[in-house]
Amino acid sequence: MKTASARKKGSATLLIVLLLFLSCAGIVALKQAVERVPRKKIPGASIIYIPSGKYLKYATFGYSSLVADLVYLWAIQYYTTYTIVDRFQNLEHIFSIIAELDPRYTDPYEIGALIAVNEAKDLKLALKILDLGLAKNPDQWIFPFEAGHYAQRAKDYDTARKYYEKTMGIPGAPEIAKRLYAAAGFRVMDLKESWETWLEVYNTAQDERTKKIAGKHLYQVKATSDTNLLREAVRRFRERYQRLPAGLEDLVRVGIVASLPRDLEGKDYIYNPKTGETKAPSVWWKR
Amino acid sequence: MAAVLEIDNLYKAFKVGFIPKKREILKGVSLSVAAGEIFGYLGPNGAGKTTTLKCVLGLIFPDRGKIEIFGHPPLSTKGKERLGYLPETPYFYDYLTAAEFLDFYAQLFGLRKKDKEDKIATLLHLVGMEKARDLQLRKFSRGMLQRVGLAQALINDPALLFLDEPLGGLDPLGRKELRDIIVRLKQEGKTIFLCSHILQDIEMICDRVAIIVGGRVISQGALQSLISEKVLFTEVTLSGINPADLVDLGEPVSTLGDRILLKVFQEDNIENLIALVRERRGRIHSLVPRTETLEDIFVEMVRQG
Amino acid sequence: MKIQAIALNTFKEAIRDRILYLLLFFAAVALAFSRLLAVLTVGDRVKIIKDVGLASISIFGVLMAILIGTGLVYKEIDKKTIYTLLSKPIQRWQFLLGKFFGLVLTLFIMTLAMGLIFLVVVLLHTGKLEGRMLLAILFIFLELVLITAVAILFSCFSTPILSSIFSLSFYLIGHLSWGLETLIQKTRSGAARMALRGLSAILPDLENFNFKTEIVHGLAIDPKFYFFSALYGLVYTLFILALAVLIFKKRDFV
Repeated sequence: MKTASARKKGSATLLIVLLLFLSCAGIVALKQAVERVPRKKIPGASIIYIPSGKYLKYATFGYSSLVADLVYLWAIQYYTTYTIVDRFQNLEHIFSIIAELDPRYTDPYEIGALIAVNEAKDLKLALKILDLGLAKNPDQWIFPFEAGHYAQRAKDYDTARKYYEKTMGIPGAPEIAKRLYAAAGFRVMDLKESWETWLEVYNTAQDERTKKIAGKHLYQVKATSDTNLLREAVRRFRERYQRLPAGLEDLVRVGIVASLPRDLEGKDYIYNPKTGETKAPSVWWKR
Repeated sequence: MAAVLEIDNLYKAFKVGFIPKKREILKGVSLSVAAGEIFGYLGPNGAGKTTTLKCVLGLIFPDRGKIEIFGHPPLSTKGKERLGYLPETPYFYDYLTAAEFLDFYAQLFGLRKKDKEDKIATLLHLVGMEKARDLQLRKFSRGMLQRVGLAQALINDPALLFLDEPLGGLDPLGRKELRDIIVRLKQEGKTIFLCSHILQDIEMICDRVAIIVGGRVISQGALQSLISEKVLFTEVTLSGINPADLVDLGEPVSTLGDRILLKVFQEDNIENLIALVRERRGRIHSLVPRTETLEDIFVEMVRQG
Repeated sequence: MKIQAIALNTFKEAIRDRILYLLLFFAAVALAFSRLLAVLTVGDRVKIIKDVGLASISIFGVLMAILIGTGLVYKEIDKKTIYTLLSKPIQRWQFLLGKFFGLVLTLFIMTLAMGLIFLVVVLLHTGKLEGRMLLAILFIFLELVLITAVAILFSCFSTPILSSIFSLSFYLIGHLSWGLETLIQKTRSGAARMALRGLSAILPDLENFNFKTEIVHGLAIDPKFYFFSALYGLVYTLFILALAVLIFKKRDFV
C-alpha cells in the first residue's frame, strides 16, 4: 500500500508527464495550423532590404562565395513560391547582390535571366542580367548565346543577331553560334551578310551534317535574294506596261533584267503569270 | 661550508585592487641555508613564506634584494637543475597518469630513456605509489597526490629540495613516513628547505630554523639554541593527599575523583612534594617535566611582533 | 628538446579536450549537410558542396584554435600547474613555444581529419579526387596557425572569455581589410589618410590566406602570391609570439 508521500510523488510525476504530452500535441497542432496560412513572405525575405552587394561583401569576412550560394538558394526558393505575387519586383536587385558577392558564379546569371523571361515576362531585364554576367566573365560565351536565344524567341532578330555575333567572338563558342547568327541575319534581311556567313560555315564545316545545313541555308538565301530581284522586276514591268509579263523571259526581252538568275542547283525559278508570284523550284529545307 | 641558498634583504610589494594600492609583503627578508641541513621556515599565515619561496623559484620578481641558489640567480637554469620543489597544494596535470607525469618532468631535465625509466620506477617505489602507476592523476586522493608530488620533486636527484607545507594534508602514518623520508634524504647529503606551520614536526627534524612574521625574519638560528633546555614546570598526578596541603607546593589544574593534577613550578617543591606524598602514604601516578617547546617560543614571538 | 616535451604534453591535453570533438562533429555534420543543400540548387551542385566544405573547415578550425588556445596558458596559471613547471630548468619562452607547437600539432590533425572528410564528400559527388582543394585547406591551416598565436598571446594575461572575444575580433578585423582600403581611397590625403595607411600596414590582412573562391572556380593563381602569403603569415605569427614572450617574461605568478 502506498504511503501518502509516495502517492503524492506518484501523482506529481503523472502531472508532469501529462503536461509534457499536452504541450507536445499542442506544438504539433500549432505548427500545422501555421503552415496552412498562406505566406506573404518567406523567411529570409529581409535580404531584399540589403542596399548593395558591394558592402555586403565586406560583412561576409571572407566567406563571400558561401553567402552568394546561400542567397542564390534562397532566391530559388523565393521565386518558386507562387503565393508571393509581387516577387519579381526585386529580381534585378537580388541577382545583382549575388553577382557582387561572387561574380564568377555563372548559374545565378542564367537562372535569373530564365526567371525574368519566363515568369516575369521581362526580356529587357533578362538581357540586362546576362550582360552583367558577360561583363564579369568575358570568357563565358553562354551568356550572349542565351541572350540571343531569348531575343530570337521574342522575334527581336536584330538584337538576337548582335548577341550571336558577340558569341562568335568568344573563343570556345560552339559552331552553331555562327549558324544562328547567319539565320538571324537572314531574318533581318541582311542577305549579303547572311550569305557570307553561311558560306563560311559551309567552307569550314567539320562534318557532313553541318555542310548540309549550310548548303540548305545558302540555297534559301540565294533563293530569297533572287526571288526578291525577280519580284521587283515584275513590279517594274507592270508599272511600265500595265500588265503582268507572260513569262520571266519577257523581263529579259524588254531589258529590265540582264539575265535570269538561276537557283543554287541551276534550275529556273517558277513564275505564275496569273498572280505575278515567283518562287523557288525547291523548298529549301527539303533539299 | 658555502651557503646553498642565500637570500639578502628581499623586498616585495604587490599592487592590489582596481585603484592599485601597494601592499608590502616582504619587508627585508634575509636568510642563509647551509649544505646538508634541514632548514625550517616558519611563520603564521600571511607572513610571506610562500612569497619568499616564489621569489627564490623565479615565479615572482622581487622589488629589491639578492637571491643566490648555489651561487646562481633564480632564473638561471644551472641553479634549477639542482633543485626540486613540492608546492603547497599539489596542482598537477590531471589527465596524465602517474608514470606519464613523472616522465614529462624527466624530459625537462633531459634524462635519457633508460635513466628515466629506472628513476621513475625507483621514485614510485620510494613514495609507495607503484600500484597507481597507470592511474590518471584526476583519480588520486589528496595524500596520493602529495606522494607523487614528492616523487616529481626528486626526479632530478636534487641537492636542494623545497617543500612547501608538505605535511599538511597527511594522516599520522603519512606524516611519519614523510618525516622518515626527509631524514633519509638528509643522510644522503641533500639540503632540505621546509616551509611549515606544524611546529611539532619542525621540532622533530629541523637543524636550523628561521621565523618570519609580518614580512621580516625575526629570528634565525640552530633549533637547539632557540629552545632552552630549562624546565618550565612539572606536571604531577597524585592521589591520597588533602588538597589543602598542596597549596604552597603547586598549582592545581584539575581533579578527577581522588586524583589531583598539579603544576609544580620550583624544583625544590618537587622534592618536598615527593616527601609529603611518602609521608601521607599517598601515591604519585605520573611526573612529567615540561620544557619550552617551539610552540611556546613561536607564540611568544608572534605576539611580540 | 624541452620545447618538444611541452609541445607533446600540450598536444596530449588538447587532444583529450571534448570541445575539439564537439566541433569536429559539427564540421562533419556541416559537410554532410552540404550535400543536402546542394539538392536545392539549380545548376552546379558541386560548387555548393565545395563552398560549404571549405567554409566549415575554416570556421570550425578558427573556433578550435580560439576556444582551446585561449585556455592554454590561462589554465596553467589558474590551476597553478605552472608553479611546478617553471621551477624546472626551463625558460619561460620555451614554455610558450611548447604550448604553441602543441596546439598547432593538434590543429594540424583536426584540419587533416576535416579535410579528408571533405575530399571524400567531393569524391562521392564528382567521382574525382580534387587535389587543388588541398591548397585552399593548406592556407586555411596557415591562417589557423596565426590565430593560435593570437589566442595564446591573449591567454597570457586575460581570462578565457575575454581572450576569446579579442581573438575573434582579430579574426574579423583581419577580414575587413578591403573595407579599410575603400576608406583610404575615399579619404582626402592628409594626416587622416596617412594614419589609415599606417593602420592598414600593421593590421593583419587575413584575406591573404583566402583562396577559397578562386580554387572553387578553378581560377589560376600566381605562385608568387602563394609564396608571399605564406611568408606573410609566418612572419606575422613570429611577431605575435615575440609579443607574447615579452609580456609573459616579466609576469609575477601570485
